[in-house]
Amino acid sequence: TAAATRPWRLFGAMCLLRLPRITQPLQKEEEEMAALMEQIELEKSHYSDHEIRKLQEEEQLRRRKESAYDDEDEAPGKMVIMAQDLEEKWEQKLLSFKAAPRITDADKNNNRTSLNRKLDSNLMLLVKQKIGNQELWLLPQVEWQPGETLRGTAERAMSTFLGDHIQAKVLGNAPYGIYKYKFPRAIRTEDNVGAKVFFFKAFLQSSDLSQAELKEDYLWVTKDELGDYLKSEYLKKVNRFLLD
Amino acid sequence: CLFFFLSSWLPQMVPSRGSHWQSSLLTLRASLPMRAQPKKKKKVDPRREQAQKDRMKKKIKKLEKAAPEMIPIEDFVTPPKYLDNSRVRSLPPLSFEETERRVLLMKRWCLFKQKQDKAEKQAIQTLIAAQQEALKELRLESEELYQAAIRRDEGLFPFEREGPNYTPPLPGYDPPEGKCVDITKVYTQ
Repeated sequence: TAAATRPWRLFGAMCLLRLPRITQPLQKEEEEMAALMEQIELEKSHYSDHEIRKLQEEEQLRRRKESAYDDEDEAPGKMVIMAQDLEEKWEQKLLSFKAAPRITDADKNNNRTSLNRKLDSNLMLLVKQKIGNQELWLLPQVEWQPGETLRGTAERAMSTFLGDHIQAKVLGNAPYGIYKYKFPRAIRTEDNVGAKVFFFKAFLQSSDLSQAELKEDYLWVTKDELGDYLKSEYLKKVNRFLLD
Repeated sequence: CLFFFLSSWLPQMVPSRGSHWQSSLLTLRASLPMRAQPKKKKKVDPRREQAQKDRMKKKIKKLEKAAPEMIPIEDFVTPPKYLDNSRVRSLPPLSFEETERRVLLMKRWCLFKQKQDKAEKQAIQTLIAAQQEALKELRLESEELYQAAIRRDEGLFPFEREGPNYTPPLPGYDPPEGKCVDITKVYTQ
């Protein structure tokens, strides 16, 4: 059966998300509550073995100082490891370990093409594409070809811009959002009124994209920074299906 | 027919003598397998063994029918060494300001969490609405694409993901060696 020429052209776009790698900083109430919970837990708890040992040793020390150093029960030269010493040793060990910084170099340079930026929020891929005669920043999109599902179109869009060796988990077969626009009057014809762009979501699995052959200009941005690049109508539709 | 009489009661093989021994040895000793027949077992034995087996089987069935012993949950049982009174922490009692501060903090926390929950639910509603709108438009476009879109994605679940940590992984970090010995008690029913 000959398909009736539909007035709308279909596009499949992929919103590729890099999930956060570190936890977001706690808000003021959360921090206060966490402190309170720790305090209450301490109050309701009993002494542990280590604490009892510490208390006993403190008692012993005090008694020995008061009774002016009687060495009956302890031969001089015998090393006794006190609980206090153990605690200090552990503290030293903790301080000597230096963890990786939460704010990376990419953050400081504001290098928006790097994936190591803003490790505590989602990053989205934006590509510069030519639509009509304009160069726009968009989520990577590609026109739908008959014979493939829209999810296939979105995956093709992803591989067009990032190469084949991309490991991403597409979240389901259904589109997450739609952006409908009509072509300007100059190009509009009877059976080519406008375009519908269907958005799909995917999570980036592998964190290294060294094999990716990025051909066009690309950016990894957070939800707040989307406003710097996307047009208002497009941005409105995209924001609807993005959780922050 | 000839009758063989054995001269002595010893279990040895004594050659039979002539018929003049007949007077003292009237009994016929049948210690040798005179007639080639297998030994007859006592009839009572198999029945006794069978009865024993039945009794054992009944006992086994009774034990199996009894309810299985409950496995004790280690978390719910306080070990006796922690019930000692000497372990109770001695702290100064809370001041009035402190209790007030705590109560007010709990109320603020309640409000905070309520707002957070509401915002999350609102976000989910927007997400669903956006998806429904997209599917509606897709249906207007083409039925077969719509059917392909609403089909279940088998490869999606089980979905596994490692959660975020506090600091990003340190490149080239060599964790110290150690051995972990598992001492959990395993109970079998």
